[in-house]
Amino acid sequence: MGKLTRRDFLKAAAAGAGAMTLSAFLEACGKVLPTSIPAADTQAPTTGQPTKSALSQPSSISTEGLPSATDGVPAPTGTAVPIPDIAMTRGGEPEALVRKAIEALGGIGAFMPAGANVVVKPNMCVAYHTYEYAATTNPWVVGTLVKMCFEAGAASVKVMDHPFGGTGPEAYKISGIEEQVKAAGGEMVNMISYHYVDTVLPSGVFLKKTKIYDEVLNADVLINVPIAKNHDSSVLTLGMKNLMGTVFIRETLHNNLHQSIADLNSLLKPQLTIIDAVRIMTTGGPTGGKLSYVQQKDTVIASRDVVAADSLATSLFGMKPEDLKYITIGTAMGLGRSDLQNLNIQVIDLNA
Amino acid sequence: MMDTHLSMPKRGKRKFKKGIVSGPWIVFRKTVQYLALAIFIALFVWSRQDGGPAAVINIPMRMDPLLILGHLAASRTLLAGSALALIVILLTVVFGRAWCGWLCPVGTILDIFPLKRWRKKGSSPAEGWRRVKFDLVIVIFAAALLGNLTLLFFDPLALLLRTLTVSVWPALDRIVTAVESILVNVPVLEGPLSTFDGLFRPGILPLQPVFYRDGLLFAVIFLGVILLDLLAARFWCRYLCPLGGALGWLSKAAIFRRSVGAECKGCTLCTDICPTGTINPAKDYASDPTECTMCLDCLEACPRGQTRFVPVFSAQKWTTYNPDRREALLAIGATVASIALLNSNGPAKRQSPFLIRPPGVRETNPDVVDFTKCTRCNECIRVCPTGGLQPAVFEVGLAALGSPILAPRLGYCDYSCNACGQVCPVQAIPPLDLEKKRLQVIGLAYINENRCIPWSDHQPCQVCEEMCPLPQKAIQLEDAEVWGPDGQTVSVKLPHVLREICIGCGICEYKCPVSGEAAIRVYMPKVDVPF
Repeated sequence: MGKLTRRDFLKAAAAGAGAMTLSAFLEACGKVLPTSIPAADTQAPTTGQPTKSALSQPSSISTEGLPSATDGVPAPTGTAVPIPDIAMTRGGEPEALVRKAIEALGGIGAFMPAGANVVVKPNMCVAYHTYEYAATTNPWVVGTLVKMCFEAGAASVKVMDHPFGGTGPEAYKISGIEEQVKAAGGEMVNMISYHYVDTVLPSGVFLKKTKIYDEVLNADVLINVPIAKNHDSSVLTLGMKNLMGTVFIRETLHNNLHQSIADLNSLLKPQLTIIDAVRIMTTGGPTGGKLSYVQQKDTVIASRDVVAADSLATSLFGMKPEDLKYITIGTAMGLGRSDLQNLNIQVIDLNA
Repeated sequence: MMDTHLSMPKRGKRKFKKGIVSGPWIVFRKTVQYLALAIFIALFVWSRQDGGPAAVINIPMRMDPLLILGHLAASRTLLAGSALALIVILLTVVFGRAWCGWLCPVGTILDIFPLKRWRKKGSSPAEGWRRVKFDLVIVIFAAALLGNLTLLFFDPLALLLRTLTVSVWPALDRIVTAVESILVNVPVLEGPLSTFDGLFRPGILPLQPVFYRDGLLFAVIFLGVILLDLLAARFWCRYLCPLGGALGWLSKAAIFRRSVGAECKGCTLCTDICPTGTINPAKDYASDPTECTMCLDCLEACPRGQTRFVPVFSAQKWTTYNPDRREALLAIGATVASIALLNSNGPAKRQSPFLIRPPGVRETNPDVVDFTKCTRCNECIRVCPTGGLQPAVFEVGLAALGSPILAPRLGYCDYSCNACGQVCPVQAIPPLDLEKKRLQVIGLAYINENRCIPWSDHQPCQVCEEMCPLPQKAIQLEDAEVWGPDGQTVSVKLPHVLREICIGCGICEYKCPVSGEAAIRVYMPKVDVPF
């Protein structure tokens, strides 16, 4: 190795500093962070106020409270039946629940083009308990989604969350999600601090600027897979709340939590929200830790509209959409619909 | 002393090049040295939550006779794993201080730093200073018998592990992260960067940065150890290292020792090359086995093959810088007086209320101020995934120097982790399984109502309650109507701590969104005042 003179070193250092300065310009021409992720080609409106056509198609079922298993709604046959706004499957294994729900919405291919880079965001908020405690999303629900993405020709499927208790790798392992995702060929991403980028939320009311994980921002398709559970700050944590896992600093948001959740959802628009209600935590959330807090519901709710999915999920807890402030705020901000009586909801009973 | 430079012209002719000796023995020794350093660092990297098995990553610490004998004297308990120290003791009885010359990672680091060019001839302290390390050994063992291990702070392995944990690794992580956060903006580099991260995180560098209060301080201490080499080669090993002193004492009876043949012409090459400066031209080039690190430089340097290492079966005589009876008694007396003074320090006995120890320590070791079992190796601090465990400096009294304390504002005790107890080589932190560890009360949370957002500002917050990992939640919310800023009643949820349930894990303090000192803090209310 030749001797490095002081001059050589200074030259190299200057070149390095120059490159670092230039990288800011490179960034400017190289990529533009999307302020909102364009929804995949859709047949139904994802956001905004209810359209006339949606209003003119009254829901075929009663949405007062929890639809009972005896409603006996027939599954759609042929193309005559319109794509529902929300699909809800009940009474079966997690894999069948997820597959049937997505099938009802037109199949996974309706949400993602072949070759898409997909990010799946489950709830893995703590590394404390196994999935039976319903603090984290059901591993088979996540695994099935990963499988389906690859079946539809996804280029990559990355699964991630940023737990507040314990480390990411521990949470991935203890929740059982890592095992199922890897078996399905997906990748668990450890969320690293420098990947969080300063992001402006143009429609934000309280939360106007924060650090969000870049792979979530840059994904072709974002699939939101929350677990439905009790949460002492936000009452329930469902789809809208689940996206907080992509934000770097969350503690300060609790000062205006519901508005913050709505603000975040004005930026991040998952193409598909699958609410895992296989096992739900009815109290003691978000961390839980007692099996007595858990109820088995064997239910999955799927929608393109995260607000609508959350609205229907409130019924699992005997609540109404208006009971969750972030749903009310989100609806007012035009992020989605919570008028369950006007939405086309398809309930599929797998045991029927 | 004669001027050694007169006989120098032959230098560079045979085995010397710029004063560096070479030869098969040197190649062999350096290979062993680098390998040992590499293994030490590899085990350091592997020491993390969910890393290598504790029985493996602990090996260097359990091989260290100073730590193990110190622990034995202080705790009067013998642990099976401590038998590993016999390897080094045996090695020393056969080969003298070969540990120092061949295996010690600190010694190797000192050899690697090229400070030789700035070292001036004659700058080394007088021979008498060599006694410091021996006196230190006396003090350490006298104190250990009195139940104090504070000075194990200066054990070389503990010193190195602490510096790597608290200073080197966090700084390295900061630099790598800074470079990555710039490079990630360059579109073509995204792929290679994520490949890099996949390889290095969390295996080698942490996913999220961990913070240590005194990284700079410990870096300066270790840098001092290195920079002392400007005065004399292996200054630390010659004059200060307590492990070197202990092994040196043992080397008095070592079997293999250096001897000089009758053909020696007094060329002084060996004197000049000796890293510990123990070859004395005035005494027929004899050396002191308590100082010799068996590096074999002199063996390779001798142009006439007169330096040999041969078995000798007799104890080496006392030298001028070995403490005599008077000095030893003085050292012991000073130790007794110091410990007495430390223990007569009333405020220290009262304990800082924020002296939070790792899980399980208070239950098994009530005299936590002196922390009599802890060898200050800092393995627990290394494995703590949140960076909550920090080496104490003076926060909780001089006697606790270098022992682990939980600083919840910097990191919490993870409800799903029991790594510190598993890794502790001397069970100063009890090795509890996760279910038991979750029940350990390491402190109690209290709310500072003057700072708490709902209590003082009547704004919603309840982060602490949400974060509480206990299934039954040690923080409960009270629905209250309070006076708002304009005299109207406002409904708020006021957090309360349930003391019977709280385990003091500190996640509430860590996550509290109030800036600076948290509005909820973990402390230790139960203080046994002994007077």
